[in-house]
Amino acid sequence: MYDNVIDRSKDITILELLDRVLNKGVILTGDIVISVADVDLVYLGVKLMLSSVETMEQLKAGKGIIEK
Amino acid sequence: MEKLIYSLVSAKNNLEALNALLAEMKGISGFDLFVVATDEVAAVVSDFDRSGTATDRTMAIEYAGLIEIMAQHFTLLPVRFGSVMESTDLILKMLERNYHEIQQNLQKVDNKCEFGLKILCDPEKIMADMKSKTEAIIKSDIAPSAEGKNSVYREWVNKKLTEHRLEEMMITFVDSVIAALSVSLTRLNTIYKFKKMVTATTIIDAVFLLDKEKKDALIQSVEVIEKQFPGLNFLLTGPWPPYNFVEIVLK
Amino acid sequence: MEENKILFSTGSLDGLSEEIGNLVNREESRLKLTPDNADSGLAKLVLTLIELIRKLVEKQAMRRVDGGLLTDGEIERLGETLMKLEMKMEELKKHFNLTDRDLNLNLGPLGDLM
Repeated sequence: MYDNVIDRSKDITILELLDRVLNKGVILTGDIVISVADVDLVYLGVKLMLSSVETMEQLKAGKGIIEK
Repeated sequence: MEKLIYSLVSAKNNLEALNALLAEMKGISGFDLFVVATDEVAAVVSDFDRSGTATDRTMAIEYAGLIEIMAQHFTLLPVRFGSVMESTDLILKMLERNYHEIQQNLQKVDNKCEFGLKILCDPEKIMADMKSKTEAIIKSDIAPSAEGKNSVYREWVNKKLTEHRLEEMMITFVDSVIAALSVSLTRLNTIYKFKKMVTATTIIDAVFLLDKEKKDALIQSVEVIEKQFPGLNFLLTGPWPPYNFVEIVLK
Repeated sequence: MEENKILFSTGSLDGLSEEIGNLVNREESRLKLTPDNADSGLAKLVLTLIELIRKLVEKQAMRRVDGGLLTDGEIERLGETLMKLEMKMEELKKHFNLTDRDLNLNLGPLGDLM
């Protein structure tokens, strides 16, 4: 039972960690990305304003990770 | 090769120490960590082979671990996983463009750590609790209309009204928990952010930014509040690098 | 990195970890449009916005009803309009095969918007 406590504590720690490193922190572009036909064209700011992204390269990297 | 950016570090007179630390570490996929600096701001960076190993959870955890080590010795802004730029030259330009904002944020988090507090409830228990407390009040208010019989629309409104009132009661309750916490938090000079009722279970999702040294005082304060709300479950985690307090979008 | 960042907790760790797992997985802010799902992807976006507005309007209306200053007739008309709006949304959701969860309808923080 003690093992379970250690496992669960680890689980929770990792979940909290992932939430931060995947969803928070400094970002290079905006929050929500709409990808059309596999090409990231625009992003929506929180106020839902359309804006153009700087480099597709940066987005592809971000997109690749979150898709998994 | 492309560059992966790990963090933005305050580089006031400590570039040597930073380089020394990075020399003892290895970045993702074994690449060396190095610094791109301008004036008092430096980005910690490594080469990144996108076509190489799969970018997945394990890599993200490793990445976060590296940031953690850096954060133990330097004031920094953690960068979200997956932030890649084409060259160090572009990174330098980016630092220069956003210099002021980066500096401001570094100042904000200097010598501080982030802590997370989630407060969970048992939704059914709490609903039952509230319903019983207010059944009388709700019933008395929702009287039939003048004709003595309710239309289907009036019934619908009554149902929504009850839901609405229960929700309002819930919000009032959550606000009371936040108010209790705020007293201690303010005393500890904390910057705090609360999200209310994220799910039916998670009624509070909060993050705090305060001096490293105040960690124990924070734990104590939370323990005291927890005793005031025995029906709720608390989860306090930390210390973390200030992920939730760096709302910069680098242009 | 430390294996355990928990400083203080109450309640079962199993329950806590399950709920936190749910929370982390909900952070999906990417809407992927492909030629196959362009219809529903776009629909999802539009319906999310409409549903948000509808719920805000409904909430505001309930506040006014609760305020006690509306006449029976006004309450009746409000009820009819809102109820029909709600039914229409259900139709649309069914048509595009979307659930509240799909629309990422976490309106808990709506408390903050209000």
